[in-house]
Amino acid sequence: MIKTIFFTVLTIAFFYIVWINNIFAPHEKYEMPPEHRKIAMDYKYAKEGRELFVQNCAACHSVRYDALYPTQVQANPMLASLQEKYGKVLPRDVYEAVFMNELNALKESFGKVPPDLSTIYLVKGPEYLYNFILEPQKVLPGTTMPPVMAGRPEETAKIIAYLRSVSEPPPQEKAKRNIMGVVTIGYLIVMGILIWLWRDRILKKMGLH
Amino acid sequence: MIGRWFNERAKLSELWQSQMVDYKVPKTLTFPYAFGVMALVAFLIQIISGIFLVMYYQPNIHTAFDSVNYTIMKEVPFMWLIRHVHAAGANFFLAIVYLHIFTGIYYNAYKKPRELTWIVGFFIYFVLLMTALSGYLLPWGQLSYWGMVVTTEIPTSIDSAPIIGKLKIGETISVWMKGGYELGQITLGRFFGLHIWLLPLILLGLVGFHFYLIRAHGITSPDGREIDKKKEGVPFHPYITLKEGAYLMGYLAVFFFFVFFYMKHFLPADNYDPANPFKTPAHIAPEWYLLAFYTMFRSIPDKFLGFVVFNLALLLLLILPFLDFSPLRSARNRPLFFVMFVVLVISSMALTILGTMPPTPTNALLGLIFTLAFLSFFISMPIISILEWGWYKAKGGSKND
Amino acid sequence: MEASRRDLLGVAVGGLGVLGAIGVLYPIVKVLSPSQASLAGARVEVDVSQIPDLQVRVVSWKGKPVFVVKLPQGFQWNGKRLNDQNAKLLQGQDAYALVAVCTHLGCVPLWKPQGEGEFNYPVFHCPCHGGFYSPWGDNIAGPPPRPLHVPPQKREGNKLIIGEAGFVKELT
Repeated sequence: MIKTIFFTVLTIAFFYIVWINNIFAPHEKYEMPPEHRKIAMDYKYAKEGRELFVQNCAACHSVRYDALYPTQVQANPMLASLQEKYGKVLPRDVYEAVFMNELNALKESFGKVPPDLSTIYLVKGPEYLYNFILEPQKVLPGTTMPPVMAGRPEETAKIIAYLRSVSEPPPQEKAKRNIMGVVTIGYLIVMGILIWLWRDRILKKMGLH
Repeated sequence: MIGRWFNERAKLSELWQSQMVDYKVPKTLTFPYAFGVMALVAFLIQIISGIFLVMYYQPNIHTAFDSVNYTIMKEVPFMWLIRHVHAAGANFFLAIVYLHIFTGIYYNAYKKPRELTWIVGFFIYFVLLMTALSGYLLPWGQLSYWGMVVTTEIPTSIDSAPIIGKLKIGETISVWMKGGYELGQITLGRFFGLHIWLLPLILLGLVGFHFYLIRAHGITSPDGREIDKKKEGVPFHPYITLKEGAYLMGYLAVFFFFVFFYMKHFLPADNYDPANPFKTPAHIAPEWYLLAFYTMFRSIPDKFLGFVVFNLALLLLLILPFLDFSPLRSARNRPLFFVMFVVLVISSMALTILGTMPPTPTNALLGLIFTLAFLSFFISMPIISILEWGWYKAKGGSKND
Repeated sequence: MEASRRDLLGVAVGGLGVLGAIGVLYPIVKVLSPSQASLAGARVEVDVSQIPDLQVRVVSWKGKPVFVVKLPQGFQWNGKRLNDQNAKLLQGQDAYALVAVCTHLGCVPLWKPQGEGEFNYPVFHCPCHGGFYSPWGDNIAGPPPRPLHVPPQKREGNKLIIGEAGFVKELT
């Protein structure tokens, strides 16, 4: 009994550390004022955030998964016919080949093509993005990202809400997935209990227990 | 009625009767005995989820990332779920296999006549690691790419050896694995082929052989004795089938909890960043299931020696049935073995956790200590065996028991 | 009493098992179903004011090639007629769509506004086995057994919308 408990606790503790919360290897935490965090996590700011993105960020950054391209690319007449042929998300090599001139111009200005931001919310999280967009040099010294949103934290939060809407499913879909999860797990627990009880009955009938 | 027609011709109910009902097993099987069937179910889950992923994934370095993060995760209905299942499933499969291995070590399931079962099992583990590694490259994110860069660099440690290092065998192997000097389309293409059919096919064959060997010899009893099947055995069905069936539901409940609510570790943030050969991520390390070997490799100052040690760890695992030649079976009856088993478990866990921590001098020292502790389990086996042979003979036991 | 309780449990396990199987099959069926994007291809809009008179544009509709024919004002055609099926259906339309798949063995016919072979007036000519169709797709010579199929279509100003019921209600 002691052995069972010992090994069970050890196993659970191990997987807790490795899969859930590694207390031995903390990662950097960034601060974000709660009122702005609320804006960033609120889906209804995504639309305004998109407009702000187009005004402030789209000069250099694309959001390919939302068919949002840098202003120079947007102005190129090839874009429409490409989108007709390939659909919403242009294959990356096609995009980079057709708009090579526009992308090279960006590369000249910034040292590299400003990254596509379709999944950046998932990579960095809202707190990092908030700090980086407001004060790029503080978070990543030597970066060529200009402080375009300096002094505008609330609008930055709305832009983050937009980026979140591109990376994550909308609240209704999230709710659906949560329900699916609860139903699946509930089903499995019920099935497990039923099978156990059924087995008990069968074994009793067979005289084996 | 159709059932009867089919059964008369396929003789399935006779097969069922002989293989599942007449097959007798010890009544005293404990919970860890279920890890084997859980591993099989985990394997099946990977195959089925993989079948659907392969319909949408594109093994091309320009479109791979988008095929996963747009087509699969956002566009096709329910594909996000299948991807979650496959990613979480890989981790669960390896976790269950590790628990299964440690269970086998604890109960000495590798002893005569089951040494071959153990050896086949080792190769299943090894091929599984290759499958996991090749699969992780496919999404072509930053961690996929750079993780593979690090992995394909490991053979170059051979070139740090005195004398034979001059032959540059390590570099040759590394370039051969990648299909060139850098990771590119050729690498992705071949790892894709390996991952989706060759390695799974080999796994299927090995698992089939493993099952045959298990059935050929029957299940070991937790206290090490071979049971008298007629007197003490219970029919596999329904005693074990339904018990493990219920346990399986529990396993799947835990599994789907992660699939729906906690994918953070199985879909790490940095892998949502598309692979960039010119930008190395701040933290690259292998996935948890390889971290113990990584820590062993990292803790030893000499690169070649580090390479030798972690390969040695694998080799010692393979030849365990021959290192432990004691007549006694099962940790329940062997206090010395039990102590060393605990040392093995704790050092494996510690090595894994150390792998997640930055390589400070303290951590390197701890890594070295736990590496030695890990190896000491295997080194102690012959010593314990000799001691136990002494006690066994003193009690009147003989070599011919 | 005991036997019936066990049966109830057995039935419960079996029933839930079936439910579980359906629960697994449902996402699998949805995963394989055509996407919104491809289903959207079932509706194609063509601006017919951009097509010059007596010319034919080829577009794709539901994976098939489709002719969009533009006839000039007051177009008269006195060619050979075997049947008037399409001509009647498309009467009065100066622009319409025809499925560009020969009803003989499936090749894509060619539009010959200057005529072809024995016909010196506009015809569709299928080069594979020498089938001929009128500008409205009615078969007039060669192996084709029936006129070209006409997809459901409607007209809104300068736009011909293929895939929605209008002056042609359903695929012929």
